[in-house]
This record gives sequence, structure tokens and C-alpha cells, in this order.
Amino acid sequence: MSTSIVKVSHLRFGPASKPILDNISLDVEAGHFMGIVGPNGAGKSTLINIIAGLTHPDGGHIDLMGECLTRYSRHRLLKQIGFLHQLHDHQPRLPMRVSDVVAMGLPNYAMPWSWGDDQGAILEALTLVDMETLAGNDFRQLSGGQRQRVRLARALVRKPKLLLLDEPSAALDSVSQDRLFRLLRRLCDETGMCAIMVEHDIAAISSHVDSVACLNRQIHHHAMKGENIPDDVWRAMYGEHIQIVAHDAGCIGCSPDTGGDHHHD
Amino acid sequence: MIDLLSDFLSSPVMAASLLPALLIAVVTASMSVMVMAHRLSFLTVGVSHASLAGLGIAVSMSLPLLPIATLFSVAIALLLALMPKRQGISEDAGTGILFAGSMALGIVLISTATTTRVDLFGLLFGNILTITADEKLWLYFLGSLILIVMLLASRAWWSIAFDSVTAEASGLPVGALRLLLYGLVGLTVILCVKLAGIVLTAGLMVLPAACAWLWGRSLAGLWLLSVGFSVTGTCAGLIWSYTYEWPSGASVVLALCGLFVASWTINTVLAAIRTQK
Repeated sequence: MSTSIVKVSHLRFGPASKPILDNISLDVEAGHFMGIVGPNGAGKSTLINIIAGLTHPDGGHIDLMGECLTRYSRHRLLKQIGFLHQLHDHQPRLPMRVSDVVAMGLPNYAMPWSWGDDQGAILEALTLVDMETLAGNDFRQLSGGQRQRVRLARALVRKPKLLLLDEPSAALDSVSQDRLFRLLRRLCDETGMCAIMVEHDIAAISSHVDSVACLNRQIHHHAMKGENIPDDVWRAMYGEHIQIVAHDAGCIGCSPDTGGDHHHD
Repeated sequence: MIDLLSDFLSSPVMAASLLPALLIAVVTASMSVMVMAHRLSFLTVGVSHASLAGLGIAVSMSLPLLPIATLFSVAIALLLALMPKRQGISEDAGTGILFAGSMALGIVLISTATTTRVDLFGLLFGNILTITADEKLWLYFLGSLILIVMLLASRAWWSIAFDSVTAEASGLPVGALRLLLYGLVGLTVILCVKLAGIVLTAGLMVLPAACAWLWGRSLAGLWLLSVGFSVTGTCAGLIWSYTYEWPSGASVVLALCGLFVASWTINTVLAAIRTQK
């Protein structure tokens, strides 16, 4: 029996008559790697932001590491979370070395008395994302993909129990994307970290994750490994005009088979 | 040159105003780095101009100038930090409104005050040479307060400047830290008014960091360079002021502008040479 890292119960966000998220319940355990997919405007980022403690839900509640997320527990709980949010044309302006950027992820970085940063932990996090040779470089001069890997190192340097990622592969080519998903898979398996990742390309993630939640205002389906996502779920999420294309048979949710056991209106 | 310096230092007025001027230079240079990092240049313009209303209130009610102006400018800065979120008015518009309104109020109050004669030129453009012993004490107090708070909060502020969303998600109280920063900008503005006046304060709050940004390779380097540029500009400005009898505030700001133009030119030429290679 593994421990529950994130437990979301009957979460609602937005007005009751027209909610952005409605009746969301999830229970994710240590070592689990979950993908959240859904169309634009489905509320994926909102859900991630609520779990990250950035947005307050209008109903329901969230337990992190078995403790209710409130204004009082927030600070303590968030120190155990790594968060990689979606960036839109984020141009770094501050002159910082790569290792300085990663140091900002250390749990006590902002405390006035923590001047000597844990260089060992920083190097370790950079090694995970294959950026250790660039530790002394100017962050501003890196490519978009390299910056994204440094940001991931920054989220990992605190050795989080929960890692939240909002479309982390946006700036990456397909090789780095695959490497990223493999790394996350490995961390979940080896360290018991739990990862929740928003992506819109289900085909790219399906062979790496343990489960996929299909989100469009509600969670329409929660597929575990080896399970197919039925056609009507796709339609409920993306509308009638969706063409379902077959990928390799081994992955979750890619099968063109109709049918299945879930029905949604 | 040596003659000029010894002349300058032996002049009692200059000797008395050199230390406060250097303190102001160090404090404003430190804060200017944060002002640049958080894109608050326009806030410093707004708050410094708005502080005229604080000075006006003090003059018309015969209260001590600096403490009242200090309270007023911190209040304005905090108001600006809180206003945009509450009313949906963009921050620059809010700054513009408060800036014009308070300045108008200040001018009316000062011009109708018949009891005291006020050195309006000194308030607008600064005059460190007329600093009194009380004012000096007040500046030392404010200056050390600002530096201490800044040392304690700088890492949190860098974190927010780099990426405020991640900073908040890592548990930092971003809203409260932002309020603290705005309040401290309000305090720093008052410190500058004595040296550069209401109109030129933005020069002290923006130029040192702007120079440093061209050369800085790390956050600590940025800070040290900014202080270096600011101290150099202040010394040069005071010497000019003494030698040619120019107004002190304007001389310091001109010296800083000169440093910026020189830095920018050298930096651009070096970058061009590097790409040629």
C-alpha cells in the first residue's frame, strides 16, 4: 500500500452555474506518473495551478501528502512540491549563471540566513537533465530547450515528493521530449516521486505514464496502463469531428477500438 | 587634479555633505537594481513626484518636512501596489493619476502657505549642500533601515523577479514581499529627494542599475557594479558642482547619464568586435 500524495475530492472552480472545473476527484500515490490530457480551455492548467496552491478552488478540497492544503499548511507543503509552469515567450533578463537558476529551487533559497547554497545538490539536479557541463554558463544565452531543462533541474533540486508539470515539452524537440519523459519515469520508479503532467499530445506520453486523465471541465475518463480510452470519451472531450488514428497497440488510449465500459454524455 | 580634490575636501560645506551623499548613492544604487529587475522605473517617477503633496502638507501645517514626506511617499507606493488588482486600472495609469493629482495638491498647498518660506527649487531639483543636522540623522536612519531590509529580502525578491509564478508555487508570500518592495521604494525615493530633488530622483533610481546591467554577469556583480557606478557618478557630480557652481542634484544625474552613455557605447562596440571575430 503506497501513500497518497495528492487527493482531490469534488473540486469545483468557477461559478456553480458555469464551472471551469466541476466535480474533479483524483487520488495519486507515491511513484505514480499521471498524464492529464484535454483540449484547449479544458481547465488543465487551472487544475495544476490549484494543486500547486496558486489558485483557490471554489469547492471541494485537496490533501497533499495526507494533509489538507490550507493557507496555514501551504508554505510547509509547497516546499515538497516541484512546479514547472507553462511559459509564454519568457525572456530571462537577469544575469544569472545556470547553477544560480537551479539554486533558486532549493527549499530555503529565499531565507536570509541561507547564503551558502548546496552545490552538490545543484550539480546532481543538473546531471539529471544532462546540463552539468553548462553549470557556469549565462542562462540568458541558452536555447529554449536548454532553458527548459534548467527549469526542470530547478524544480528537481528540492527533491520533491510531487512534481507538477504544465506542458513541459512545449519547447523541446521530439528526442529531448522522449528523454524528458524517460527521466520522469525513472525518477518516479527510483525515488517514489509522484508526477502529474499536463500535455495535449496523448500519443507522446502514453507509453511512459501509469495513467491518463481525460479532462474537459470534468474528468471524463481515467485510463490505467493497458486500458483503452473509448471513442465516446474522445467525442465528449473534443467534439464530434474527431478522427481517431491508430498508434502502436501497446500504449494507453491510442487504440482505435470503439466500445469499452464507460459512457459519458 | 590633486589641488582640486584637496580644495573640494577642505571646503566645509562639501565635507559635510559628502558622507550623506555617498550613503544616498549606495542605498539608491542597491535599490535601483531591484527597481530594474521588477520593472518599477515608472513607479519611482510617480512616487517621487507624488511626494510633493507630502511636502506640501508638512509645509502648510508647519510639520517636520522629511518624516511627513516619508510617510506620504510610502503610503502612495503601497496604494499603487494595491490599487491595480482591486479596480482593474493598469498600474501605469494608476501611477499617472496619483502622480498628477498629488503634485497638483502639493503645488497648491506650498503656494498658499504664507507662514514659511520654502525653498521650492531645492525640493524640485535637490540640494545636498543645504542639508541640516536633523536631516542627516533622518537620512542615516532611513538608509541603514533600507539596506538591512534589502539584505534580508534580496534573495526572495530575486526569485520573484526571475519567475514570480514559480516563486509563489515554492511557498514564498509573493504579495507581501511585493508590498514590502514598493514600501521600500517609497522610502528610498525620500532619501533621493534631498540629493536629486523630486524631478531628478528617477535618475538616481534607474541609471546606476542601467549601467550595471550592461556589464553584470551575476546578481552579486550587478549589485556591486551598480554601487560602483553610483558612487563614481555622485563624486564626479559633487566635484563639478563645487568647481563650476552647478546645482548638485543635476550635476550628479548628468554624471550618471555620462557614465551610462559611455558604458553603452563601449559595450556596443565590444559586442560588434566580438561578432566580427
